[in-house]
Amino acid sequence: MGDYVWFHDVSWHASYAIYFFVIGILAGLSFLSYGSWITPALRPLREKAAYLSLLLLAVGGLLLVADLSQPLRFLNTLNPAYLNFSSPLAWGALNIVAFGVASVLYILELRKGQDSARGKMLALVSALLALGLPIYTGYDLTVHQSRPVWNTPVIPVLFVALAIASGSAVGSLLSGGNAAAQKVLREYMLWSTAGVGVILISILGTTSYGGTAQELTFMILTTGTMGLIFIGGGILLGTAAPVAILFLAHMRQQATATMLMLSALLILLGSAALRYVLLMGPQHLQTLY
Amino acid sequence: MSEELRVSPIETRGVAGKKRYAMVVDTRRCIGCMACQVACKAEYDTPLGVNRTWVPYKVVGTYPNVKKQFLPRLCNHCDDPPCVRNCPVDATYKVEDGGFVLQRYERCIGCRSCMAACPYNARFMLPAHRTYSSITRVVDKCTFCFHRVTQNLVPACVQTCVGRSRVFGDLNDPTSEVSWLVTRNATQVLRPEEGTKPHVFYIGADRNQTEFGRDAYSKPEVMEPERSAFKRHFKI
Repeated sequence: MGDYVWFHDVSWHASYAIYFFVIGILAGLSFLSYGSWITPALRPLREKAAYLSLLLLAVGGLLLVADLSQPLRFLNTLNPAYLNFSSPLAWGALNIVAFGVASVLYILELRKGQDSARGKMLALVSALLALGLPIYTGYDLTVHQSRPVWNTPVIPVLFVALAIASGSAVGSLLSGGNAAAQKVLREYMLWSTAGVGVILISILGTTSYGGTAQELTFMILTTGTMGLIFIGGGILLGTAAPVAILFLAHMRQQATATMLMLSALLILLGSAALRYVLLMGPQHLQTLY
Repeated sequence: MSEELRVSPIETRGVAGKKRYAMVVDTRRCIGCMACQVACKAEYDTPLGVNRTWVPYKVVGTYPNVKKQFLPRLCNHCDDPPCVRNCPVDATYKVEDGGFVLQRYERCIGCRSCMAACPYNARFMLPAHRTYSSITRVVDKCTFCFHRVTQNLVPACVQTCVGRSRVFGDLNDPTSEVSWLVTRNATQVLRPEEGTKPHVFYIGADRNQTEFGRDAYSKPEVMEPERSAFKRHFKI
């Protein structure tokens, strides 16, 4: 003993995980709002999803700005003279602003109260820009070559799957007793959460078979408090349990309101837990190097 | 160094007419006096709790055959720096002639992306309050003493090193001392697998220090009270 180890702070704190969670839900809701133009069963969700996604954008944006140590300088990310396009954050800033603008235009169109071609087009544009949000947040992590788990190509894919799962879960909670909408949403929840499970298995496998840093990160992720949140909250409660419940409903071709609500809540819990662990876990080891 | 070894356009390896400053740290000569750390603190008024350079040590061996292994650390001024790539507003940039990786304080938004990108933990957030400087709440790091080197002086840590463990110079100049040391000795860089092409070379570095130790696993929770106290005090 007697070693002198200089400790370093983690770069990104838990508020960033909340931002990831919020941005995922808003992206999922945006997909649903566009989906309502194609799938009639989702029609009752169109306005609710659009309004809520804009509200969540405001919440997420505030979280992101408040997390900066120089909050007022967030305007620098929109200054063309400063932007560095090799950084995913620069693309993310532009994506958030573009989504905000498209979302406002879409809501203005929705307030006219008629199904116009312009409305459908704006819904598509909003949904495509919303797709960019989980992708850019994923790349935010992926580009850090020295971080195990983050530096894997599946992270943006995982974030898209989590966005669909958590957006559908919120959509399911918003739909209430609408059986037609619930039938579609339970399929969305089932297959996107199953996708999340497959990606998590892939990440865990790759990490445990990696080098020393990967192996130690795997231990940090799967044991102690972090393990409880990741394995307990993220994988068992948040992924395996809802998949089992929804698969049962899929096989029987019927689901009770309790089953759906429970699945939706578990998916949201898992989605939050996974974001927290995937953000914080891989940073721990690095703080001691 | 041949030109064909360059893989990224940002690298200055072997570019004619361009300086490529590097530091060689001969760990066999380091006595762990921490004078480099103090000199750096004095040069920049670096606040408490953060350092531009630091000298961690590890006691290795089994009694009675034990010794302290020192590994002076600082920003590696990488030839292909991930922090520069990741900064969304170009607040971090590489000086083409010299290879210094520097920070524009007035532009930094404090997103900590560069801190996350750095494999060497060389970057830190300045606290909210400082006694002699108004530069607060932005990311800071070692500059290789850019202001001294451009005045034909060596960095403060090199100047003060009593054992001449730290040597500084232009790696693109084949007659420089660093070139000679790198050519004639077996050298190591930290985490070469990251592809950052660091400009800090170590002679005789111990792998207990350069690699992730197995014992690192148990440390985060032990150190949590210190981290929390640090963050509370500096409001970061």
